[in-house]
Amino acid sequence: MPAEAPEPRQWRQILDRVASTPWIEFSVFLFPAVLFYMVFTAYPVARTFINSFFVITPLGSEYIGFENYREIIFEDWVFWKAVGNTLIWSIVGPIVDVGLGLILALVIYSGVRLGAFYRFVWFAPVLISNVVAGILWLWIYNYDWGVLNSALRAVGLGDWAMSWLGNTSTALGAVIAAHSWKWAGFDMVVCLAALYALPREVLDASELDNCGWFAKTYFVIIPMIKRTLLNLTILAFIGRMKIFDLVWVMTTGGPLWSTETVSTYVYKRAFNWSTFDLGYPSALGSLWSLVIIVVVILLTRIVSSKERLEY
Amino acid sequence: MRGTASVLAVAGALTAGAAHAEDITLTVWSHEADSKSKVAWRELAARNFEEAHPGVKVKITWYQKEPLFSALNTALRAGQGPDAFYIERDRVEYITNGFVTPLNDLINWSSIKPWTKDVWTIDGKTYAVPQEVWTLENFFNETRMAELGITLPDNKQLSQTEYLELVKKSVAAGISPLAAGAGDRPYPGAYMTQELLLKRLGVDDYRALLDGKISYTDPRVIEVLGYVHQLVEAGFYPKSFTTMTLAETWPYFEANPAALMLIMGSFYAGHPFTSDVPDSFKLGVMKIPALDNGVCNECKTAAVGASFAINSNSEHKELVADFLNEMATPEMGARWVKTVLLGTAVETGPIESDNPKMKAYLDEYNEANQGAKYFIGAPHQYLTGSCKEAWAQIINVALPANLISIEDTAARLDQACYRP
Repeated sequence: MPAEAPEPRQWRQILDRVASTPWIEFSVFLFPAVLFYMVFTAYPVARTFINSFFVITPLGSEYIGFENYREIIFEDWVFWKAVGNTLIWSIVGPIVDVGLGLILALVIYSGVRLGAFYRFVWFAPVLISNVVAGILWLWIYNYDWGVLNSALRAVGLGDWAMSWLGNTSTALGAVIAAHSWKWAGFDMVVCLAALYALPREVLDASELDNCGWFAKTYFVIIPMIKRTLLNLTILAFIGRMKIFDLVWVMTTGGPLWSTETVSTYVYKRAFNWSTFDLGYPSALGSLWSLVIIVVVILLTRIVSSKERLEY
Repeated sequence: MRGTASVLAVAGALTAGAAHAEDITLTVWSHEADSKSKVAWRELAARNFEEAHPGVKVKITWYQKEPLFSALNTALRAGQGPDAFYIERDRVEYITNGFVTPLNDLINWSSIKPWTKDVWTIDGKTYAVPQEVWTLENFFNETRMAELGITLPDNKQLSQTEYLELVKKSVAAGISPLAAGAGDRPYPGAYMTQELLLKRLGVDDYRALLDGKISYTDPRVIEVLGYVHQLVEAGFYPKSFTTMTLAETWPYFEANPAALMLIMGSFYAGHPFTSDVPDSFKLGVMKIPALDNGVCNECKTAAVGASFAINSNSEHKELVADFLNEMATPEMGARWVKTVLLGTAVETGPIESDNPKMKAYLDEYNEANQGAKYFIGAPHQYLTGSCKEAWAQIINVALPANLISIEDTAARLDQACYRP
C-alpha cells in the first residue's frame, strides 16, 4: 500500500521541526568527523579508483582506460593464484577459528576447573600483534630447533619433521594455523558471552528431558547461538579477505607464491617491483574491494534473512 | 657618524649572515642503524664536515633497510625527504623517476674507483657516490674442511665434480655443507646459480640473459640448472633455508651447527673479526667451482653496496655534495677498511691491517681473487618488475629448496623475463 502524503498540518509540523533544528550547532559538531572521513577515507578510496585507469609514475600519468583491469583478469596468473589462496583462507579460516572458539567456550562453560585461567591463556594470543605472532610461529616452525619438529623427533616421528613454511604443500596451512591460534581466543570470548546469555530454563528443561551433553550442545545450545556463530564467521571471512601482516612476516607470499594473498600482491606491485607505478596496484585494490563489498552485501542479506529465534 | 653607521650595517649584515648559516641543517637518512662501526664512521665524517663548515649541521637519521626505503618512497613522491640518502643499485626507480640529482660536477671523482662510478652512471650521468664494494665469495671454515680431509688446489677452485663430491662428503660426515637462508632477502639463495650462469655463459651472454635477450631454456642455462639441482639433491642447502634470515645465517656458519661453507658478499668478512666466534672457526676463501663447459670460470660478481645520493629537491645540493666528498677522501676510505673491515669504493692505495687474523684473511682473499674477471652487479640489482619477483621466488627459493623442476624453472622465468 503506498504511503499516504502528509496532511497540511503535518507539513507544518515538519517545517517547524526543520526550522527549530540547530543546524549551525549540528554542523560545528559534525564538521570534524566529516572532514576526517572525507580526507582519510572517501578521498583515498575515490583517488585509488581513479588511479586504476592510469599508469602513474612520479614523472606523470597516462590514461589507459580499462587496460589495468584487462591485464589483471586475463593475463596476471599471480593475481589468480593470490585470489585462490585468499579464498581458501577465507573459507577454511573462519570454520577453524569459530569451531575452535566454540569448543574452547564450551569447555569453559561446562564449568571446568581453572576456567578463568584457561580463559586468560586462550585469549592472550589476541592481545599479541600479528607481527609478534608471526615471529613466534616462525620459531615454532623452524626446521632445526622449532618446537613442532622437536616434538615430532621426540616422539619418534622425526621423518615427519619438515620445513613447514618452506614447502609449497604445507606453507599455506601452516600460516592459517598460526592465524587461527591467534584469533580462536576472540571467538571463544564472544561465544562465551552468547552462552552465558542463554536462558537457564531452556537448558534446565533439556536436562529434565534426559538430554546428554552432546545432544544438549548439538540440538539446543548451538541452534540458540547460531546468529552469533554466523556473525563471527562473516567477520572472520571479511578479515581473511584482507589478510596481510601475518603472511608478510612469515613468508612474504612464498615459497613459489603458495601463500600469496591479494593484499601481499598489491603491496609487492606497489612497492617492491622497482617501478613506482601506482596505477596497476590501484586497479588490483579497487577490484578486490569490489569483490569484498559484493560478498559483504550477500552475506549481510543471508544473515538478515534468518528468522529470529524466540524463547 | 656616517662611518659608524656603515660599520654597524656591515656588522649587522655579517651577523645576519652568520645567523642564516647556523640555520642550515643537512638531513641525511642512512641504512645500517645496527652496524656500530658504520654508524661511527659516518658520524665521524659528519663531525669533520661540521668542523670544516662552521654553522652547518649534519643530522643523520638511522634506519634499517626496509623502513628506510618505505620512508623514502613516501617522502620523495611528496617532493620532500632528506637532502641526501642511502641508496643501493637495485633502487634504480629513484633515478628513472627524477628523485636523484646527477653528481657529475658536484663530486670529486678522482678519489673514487672508476668502475664503482660506472655502476652509478646512466646515460652519462652519475647519480650516487659509492662507498662500499664487495665481491661474491665462497667462504669456508678451514677447521671443518680439514675434518673432511680435503685439500684445496693451489688456485682454490675445485671442478664441478670435485665440488659435488665435497658436498656429498660433508653431508655423509654430518656437517651442513652450506649456511644459507632466503627468509628475509631476495638473493642469498640465488648466489650459487647466478655465479654458475656467469661462468657458463661468460660476461656478455650473462648480461643478455639478465636483459631478457636469452631464454632460460637455452641448453647452457639448463645445464647450469641441472648442476644446481644435483647440488640440491646432494643436500647442499640447509632444510631451514627458506625461512632462515641473513642474520641467522652467519652464526649457522660460524658456531651452530658450524656449516662447512658460506656463499656471501665479501661484506660478510668483517663479521668474524668483530664478533665472538668459536676458536675452531677459521675463515678461508675458495672459488666457486669451475664448470666443465665454463666459458669464463674466472668470472665472478663484484658489486657496489652502500652508496649515497642527493635528493633532487634539496635546497643545499652543493653543501651536501661537500659532505659526500668528506666521506670519499682517501683518509676516510682507509679508515673504512680498517674500522668497518669492508671493501671501499675510494682509491686508498695499499692498506696494512693491524689485525693479524684479518691480515691473513686479506692475503687469502687476494689469492682467491687473483686473475678474476668481474661482472659488475648482482641480478637483484638489475632486474625489475615481474622478472625481479620471479627471480626472487624461483632462483632464490624454489630451486634451492627443491620445490620446482628444471623445466618449470626455465618456463616460469621465460614467462617473466624473456623479452627477445
